[in-house]
Amino acid sequence: MSTARLKRKLGDLGIDTSSRKANENFCLIGTPLPPLEKSKDTGEFVPLWKQEVRDEKGRRRLHGAFTGGFSAGYFNTVGSKEGWTPSTFISSRSDRATNKNRPSRPEDFMDEEDLTGMRDDQKLVDEHEQMDLLGSTQDEISKRGVGTDDKDAITLALEQSLLPAPKDSVGARILKKMGWRIGQGVGPRITWRQREIAFGRNPDVPSDDIDEEAKKHLYAPRDTPLIIVERKDNFHGLGYDPGLGLHASLGVAPEASKQSSGPRLAGGFGLGALNDADDDDLDVYDHSQIHGRNHHAYDANDVHNEEHVLMSARSQGARDLGKTAQPQRPSTGKLVFRDGKPPLNGFIISEKPVAEDLCFPIPDVPKDWTPNPKRVWEMEKANSKDKENASIPPPSQTQSHAQWKKGISANQRGAALGETPLPSAPRSIFEYISKKDQERIKNIAASRFAPTSTSDDPSPGPSLPMPPTITHTEPHVAQAALHGFQPFTTDPTKQARYTAYLRAHANPGSGVIPPAQKPEQSAEEFAKEINDYAKSAALFRPVSGAMAGRFTSAAVLDLGPKIIEGLHTPAAQPEEGADNMDVAEEKPKEEVKEEAPKVHAARLGMYGVMTREVCTWQPARLLCKRFGVKEPDLDVPVDTSGPSAPETAAPEFTGAAPADEFAGASAGVTQVEGRGSGSSKRDVANIGMGEDDGQGDDVLTYERPGMDIFKAIFASDDEESDEEKDRIDDVDEVDEPPAVSAPAGPSKPGPDVKPPPSNGIVEDVDLATFKPTFIPRGSKPKDTEKKEKKKKKQKSSKGGILVSFDVEEDGGDSSLTAARQKHRDRDSERPRKKKRKDREGGGGEDMWVEKPAPDIVKALPVNLSLDSEDSQVSGQGSGPPRVRKRAIDFM
Amino acid sequence: MAPSRGSQALARTLHKTLSNHRGPVHVVRYAKGTAKYVLSGGQDRSIRLWNPDLGTEIKKFEAHGYEVLSISVSHDNTKFASSGGDRSVFVWDVTAGVTTRRLAGHMGKVNVVELNADATVLASGSYDSTVRLWDLRAPARAPIQVLEEARDAVQTLHVDATTIIAGSVDGHVRTYDLRKGELRSDFIGQPVTSAIPSSDGTTLLVSTLDSHVRLFDTTSGKLLNAFTGHNHTSYRCRACFGHEEATVVCGDEDGAVWAWDLVDATVLQPNPPPKVHDKVITWTEHHPIDPGEMVTSSADGTVKVWRHPS
Repeated sequence: MSTARLKRKLGDLGIDTSSRKANENFCLIGTPLPPLEKSKDTGEFVPLWKQEVRDEKGRRRLHGAFTGGFSAGYFNTVGSKEGWTPSTFISSRSDRATNKNRPSRPEDFMDEEDLTGMRDDQKLVDEHEQMDLLGSTQDEISKRGVGTDDKDAITLALEQSLLPAPKDSVGARILKKMGWRIGQGVGPRITWRQREIAFGRNPDVPSDDIDEEAKKHLYAPRDTPLIIVERKDNFHGLGYDPGLGLHASLGVAPEASKQSSGPRLAGGFGLGALNDADDDDLDVYDHSQIHGRNHHAYDANDVHNEEHVLMSARSQGARDLGKTAQPQRPSTGKLVFRDGKPPLNGFIISEKPVAEDLCFPIPDVPKDWTPNPKRVWEMEKANSKDKENASIPPPSQTQSHAQWKKGISANQRGAALGETPLPSAPRSIFEYISKKDQERIKNIAASRFAPTSTSDDPSPGPSLPMPPTITHTEPHVAQAALHGFQPFTTDPTKQARYTAYLRAHANPGSGVIPPAQKPEQSAEEFAKEINDYAKSAALFRPVSGAMAGRFTSAAVLDLGPKIIEGLHTPAAQPEEGADNMDVAEEKPKEEVKEEAPKVHAARLGMYGVMTREVCTWQPARLLCKRFGVKEPDLDVPVDTSGPSAPETAAPEFTGAAPADEFAGASAGVTQVEGRGSGSSKRDVANIGMGEDDGQGDDVLTYERPGMDIFKAIFASDDEESDEEKDRIDDVDEVDEPPAVSAPAGPSKPGPDVKPPPSNGIVEDVDLATFKPTFIPRGSKPKDTEKKEKKKKKQKSSKGGILVSFDVEEDGGDSSLTAARQKHRDRDSERPRKKKRKDREGGGGEDMWVEKPAPDIVKALPVNLSLDSEDSQVSGQGSGPPRVRKRAIDFM
Repeated sequence: MAPSRGSQALARTLHKTLSNHRGPVHVVRYAKGTAKYVLSGGQDRSIRLWNPDLGTEIKKFEAHGYEVLSISVSHDNTKFASSGGDRSVFVWDVTAGVTTRRLAGHMGKVNVVELNADATVLASGSYDSTVRLWDLRAPARAPIQVLEEARDAVQTLHVDATTIIAGSVDGHVRTYDLRKGELRSDFIGQPVTSAIPSSDGTTLLVSTLDSHVRLFDTTSGKLLNAFTGHNHTSYRCRACFGHEEATVVCGDEDGAVWAWDLVDATVLQPNPPPKVHDKVITWTEHHPIDPGEMVTSSADGTVKVWRHPS
């Protein structure tokens, strides 16, 4: 509508509406097509669905969801699309160089982003100022310039202009901004007076050039001189100056004297040659001289007066001017040792002379004096006796090793020294018991351990040595000890004394005299001896009462060889010999007594009841299983030493022992199955089992059937066509009843007496058709039978399916009927096995072993029976054909 | 034992001498079945398989580190077990000639090893006075059971369907009855070197170091017969039954092979028998089937095959 009006209007204006110019369109509708050539415009609008996240190299890297996007694991973390590739082993033998050059650096594990980040970090570090922390401020540089005397001004100027100006440290710059200047100390400003003191001048001393105005100002504190610890890179001793020349060492070095003549003056204007060096003019910042001396930042000698803000005393002179009245010392220059040597730097020579050692005059020895060491020993002994009285075992006396090891306890030592005992915590429970109870316990203990309490008590012996017979042995102890071990047999005299002692104590009223003190014996020795006797009497008495029966004294005492002094006297020997004889005789007697009935009977040839011992023996369960024997029911369970059988609960194997089957022609033993006896036993565990105790055992002891069973069922037997007779056999044998059939089901108890297992086979075998059959060695008939049982159980549970199995197995033999299916021979697998063996050739030979010939064959003339070893040994190369040949041999 | 059979003369004509062993031969065993082969083990640490008919050595089994003291062949002749001074028992595969099992556990040398009838259990008796029963079927190498009743070295073992008979130097023959769960120990009084039951299991032939071979009734333990005349005082010699158990044969320490009538215990002719080995006869074994063949091994390093003169 509007356009029509517009057209009309234009037409009125005389413009051709159909012309191209008039139709020119300026508005765009819709999205424009992208330009044909790719524009470099990265800001170009891209629809959302086309947007892609790409990194700077153009790779797609979408890191959605917290950088765990689709390619995160590959591009960012691991080296390959598949994941980590483990570093393969590279033998260093082939290329050593590359291996050496490839230590793992962190950069190896970084990707580009990490690397750029790292590079950026490094740049940041680079752009930082290189801070010279070790005193390369301009100040110090200038100082260094002062120190370098060998360089002339031009060189220095050149150096300073050419070398980049050293930068001040950050701290210096901050201080500068806070108003600090080079040469000033750091800290709050101080008054003039303090400053004067700091500079070691006496502010109270009036001087004419002191400006009154100067006192009104505050000054910066004195600069703290920097301790410059010189690096010690030589091997000289401390304080040794290697530069000390001949003259210097003599103390008359010209330079030294020159320097000591006066303090170094700061270079500057206004000092003439004749001017005296004022303290003000001293170069405060002169360090060159200080180097040699020690300078402490905080001098120990500083007096911390309020006014003394002084941080360091630089010179001796300055310190001398301090307020405290320090003794005026001669200046360092004058201080030399007597030999002219100056003291070490930092040391001063003491003014006090070294105290002389006191020397005492040698005592006068009387002319008639002779050395008498005995006297000393006696004195010592007397001392020790005193100590003994204080209940300390004297070290001079013979000590037992234990005593010596223990040493003297603190209490003993204290008692020896006469200390009052410390109030200590009560040691034993007796402290807490009432007096009465203590008494009672003591009485009980005394009555029970009478000897122990009397003679083992260490106190009576040593503590009361004076009456030597104080050691007392109870009569009954002595009596017992008389019959007990004689400890002093090696020393007859001592032994005699010991027995005398014991006798005397055993019956005190009998008038037996205890051993008296020997004439050469001292009282102490005698006391010790008696004490020993008492101890050994307590120790070596035979064990009394019930304990005595438990021990027998050793027949031979290990006393070592008895050495008899002097010539050999044969009289001494018989005693010993008789003793030994007795011992020797006693022993066999005992043995004879013990073994008598058996041995005697055996010696007389009366074998039988006398020589036979019958006891129960519990064979291991697994052993019974392996032997095919039912585990005996023993009333008394006997521990079997063998390890518990891995197969728990031997399954009830009701067939005759296969051992008999293989035992050869001699098998005249029919094995009576002991199953019926088990059912006669009735207890709670059997209730509900009916007649069969083993009910449900099969379920409990289910074992996964062996692989060969599965193979027998499922393995394809394509190669069966080689012998059609085999196939027929196969079918027949599958359908034949088991020769050694297990009971049809677990619920039915087995027959009590088994027919010999080979009977079934004997019936089947006629010589015309007999062929050797094979059974797998891994599964002996027992196993196969068991498995057969299981298989049958399965079959009975799902009979229909099994029919189809059989049909498959037998190649769709239509003649199969359900009735025949029930008859199975346990040999059903064997022909197939054999064929498999044929297929496998020699390789499977060790898997399959020849089944021994049935009884009927064994009964045949010898040359008819198999000899497997023949085939095994001499025909190693070709197993299967030989077996076939063997079979033919029978015909 | 039926006296009507009479006792056949022992095969005393030397058929072959198998003399490849160096050093004493400790044991020689017939193979099972028709027993056409012979295995012998000796001090030279080797076990050799022979064809006694031809007198040729067929195979040599070498793995033992010490002397071979005992061999037992399985019922199917595919494997055999051996033991010796290296305190271990080896089970061998005959054809491959390698050990299939090495049973270690004994503390002393293993004097005797015996397989049961179907080679599922191996019994080994050792100087450490134990009998260990090993399971050859399970992969476990630990013994099923250890019989520790013996007080001295076990010298001889016999394993049949339900019993294990162990003869020991302590003068006992112990019969472990698995079925009854019973241990019958018969005291002989002298170190037992061999104990062999008759095939019906009613009698037991025991040779001891007092130069006696005794026949016992297994049920009552009574002595049925004693065979003497030979010299057997210090070495392990083996007495065995002759053909059809009509005779008792024993090689003695003088190198003579003695034969007695089982029933009346008289020494068969020649009496005294000639010395056929230079040293002690360590093993005597009659052929299980052939009435006219017997092997003996001796410390003189030979195994001799005896037959009737043909």
